[in-house]
Amino acid sequence: MTLLLGLLFLSVSYSQSNRIYGSFESNAVYYQENEEESYQNKLASNNYLNVKYLFNSNWNVEVQVESYLPKRLQSYSDSFENTHLSTLSVNYSKNNFNMSIGSIYDQFGSGLVLRTWEDRQLGINNSIWGFKTSFDTENFNLKLLGGWQKKGIGISSGKIVGLDSNITLLNSDTKYQNLIFGLSYVGRFEMPHYVSYDFNDLTNLFSARLDYFSDKFYLEYEQVIKSEDGIIQFGSISNEFVKKGSAHSLNLGITETGFGLDMTFRRLENMPLFSDRFEQGEIYNESNVNYLPALTKQHDYQLANINVYESQPNVSFPDPELMKSGEIGYQFDLYYDLKKGSTVGGKYGSKVSLNISSWYNLKGQYTYYPSDYDTDFIGFGEKYFSEQSIEIRKKWSNKFDNIFLFINKYYNKRFVEEKSGEINSQILVIDNTLKLNNKKSLRVEIQHLSTKDDKKNWYGYGLEYNFNYNLSTYYNTIVNYENLDDDKPAFYSIGASYNKNASRFSVSYGKQRGGLLCYGGICRYIPEFKGISFSINTSF
Amino acid sequence: MIKKFTFSLILCLLAYTSSSQKFIPEIGLTTLNGESIKSVEAINQEGFTIISFWATWCIPCINELDAINEVISDWNKKEDITVLAISTDDSRSKKRVRPLINGKNWIFDVLSDTNQEFKRAMGVVGIPHTIVTYKSEIIHRRIGYTPGEEEDLFEVISNYKK
Repeated sequence: MTLLLGLLFLSVSYSQSNRIYGSFESNAVYYQENEEESYQNKLASNNYLNVKYLFNSNWNVEVQVESYLPKRLQSYSDSFENTHLSTLSVNYSKNNFNMSIGSIYDQFGSGLVLRTWEDRQLGINNSIWGFKTSFDTENFNLKLLGGWQKKGIGISSGKIVGLDSNITLLNSDTKYQNLIFGLSYVGRFEMPHYVSYDFNDLTNLFSARLDYFSDKFYLEYEQVIKSEDGIIQFGSISNEFVKKGSAHSLNLGITETGFGLDMTFRRLENMPLFSDRFEQGEIYNESNVNYLPALTKQHDYQLANINVYESQPNVSFPDPELMKSGEIGYQFDLYYDLKKGSTVGGKYGSKVSLNISSWYNLKGQYTYYPSDYDTDFIGFGEKYFSEQSIEIRKKWSNKFDNIFLFINKYYNKRFVEEKSGEINSQILVIDNTLKLNNKKSLRVEIQHLSTKDDKKNWYGYGLEYNFNYNLSTYYNTIVNYENLDDDKPAFYSIGASYNKNASRFSVSYGKQRGGLLCYGGICRYIPEFKGISFSINTSF
Repeated sequence: MIKKFTFSLILCLLAYTSSSQKFIPEIGLTTLNGESIKSVEAINQEGFTIISFWATWCIPCINELDAINEVISDWNKKEDITVLAISTDDSRSKKRVRPLINGKNWIFDVLSDTNQEFKRAMGVVGIPHTIVTYKSEIIHRRIGYTPGEEEDLFEVISNYKK
């Protein structure tokens, strides 16, 4: 903690030199009621200080210190304790050449073979502790990196090496066209528990990409091949269940002024890659090398975030009736601008967006004992998840506008969470904003979730009052009013926030629903709690 | 421990009073057509640039950019302003960016920061986060968006002594 405070003080003191800049974030909770006894009536906080120092136009250094005091927030990795250095990198760049040593954050292609990044809400920081060198010209770039992956406050036992290259094959300015070809390689070297197996300690992933863009049309295709690797089953690995993996991702779209259509198809088979094999299935999202998010629409409203789909890239055979080897599915997005003055658009116009997605198990022949499978390339097995949603944004006057959202959702809890049940639900949200004057505004949000399954119906509402551009207060609640088994559980939050320039302070009190917390298609489990939360973030 | 936590709050307040990053670091971004562009090359070197960090799933971000889109033509009659909407969507939601901006008829430039390296380099913790530069020097930054706040942003630009 002293290290963090000292560094923060130095950063602030020297920040006027313009050579030091960065950010500070602190999230603290005083837990009152809690499922975990060790958190009852306890204060916990996660604090992050990120500082960059610029020596000159070629050299810079980045340092991030994290402090989990008196203890880490609930549901973060057990290894987060006290204060430690989480990021340290020295970077050099001149003309087309870049070199970094230390913590490496990077992504190859769409991340199907490698993505290292930080997401504090999910507790993810999977940077590679090693080196990266890259060379960029207008039509060609090449990257090479390698090292050990950050895992908790230590590093992984497995080593990662990667090579990525992109070349522009066609770039026409007269009739706008752009064609880019990309190739990547990622190798993970790990001896599983120092035992010798028939499969290689080195697992190889090869990716080939082709992206085409023109004025009104675009197409992006990526194919990945993963070499044979042992499948983790019930926490162990054997020579009896060893399979290859693959990924295919196709995205295409048509866009015009006032219109956009996007279509995605993706097939994943046995695609997880962890720097430590046995980290697969652990709850803290550590040691992930590649990024395989759920391709569904991400929603901002509370009831729309119940039964959220998490992608299924893994092989999992928990029982003879539940055997899966990956996922296959599609997603469509349509955006349309109903013009101002048109019959449907009205005086101020309206924006309409539609989203449709469906995801399935891979169809094929599955054998429980001995464990094996053989899948069809195009074949749709048991449905995991589907969703259809329509969102209409309508401005009625200079002072009043609203958002109407309707979602029809199917969630197969049996196959996605490996629990029991299937849930069909419909969610309706109406979000209204009234501008009272130039600075004051009021937002009223109402939500309802209808389902005959699982925990039955919910309702929710929220009020937000903005006193001015800096100060806001809010109250929101969701109530599972048809859940008679659990005495109609209700969750609520009341709070205020103050923003000034690049700083934000907020405080809230409430009872938070437990369950999966998902950002960017990655989820982590959070337990239910009641308490007071404080949050500060600032850039300097 | 609570004393240390309070101390960190005080230091944070100090930090808030001395927001000082004055320049835009040179970070690789991509256009929606897959072309590489350096962050510094995208900045208006003669006038103002409004850099808005957003994502397709962030409702206040879209509200802010919708509001700016409504008034930017009028603003440009008075001041030389370039708007750069930096999409922080990762590969999950990035595919939604191009259809969304066409569907919404946004008339300003949108650049993609897929692995959020520019966001990290600018010390952006949450979005929406808006930065204003004049001749490539940072003159103002703010977090969040409430209805009508775009007018305050224009006031900052209009009142800036060049």
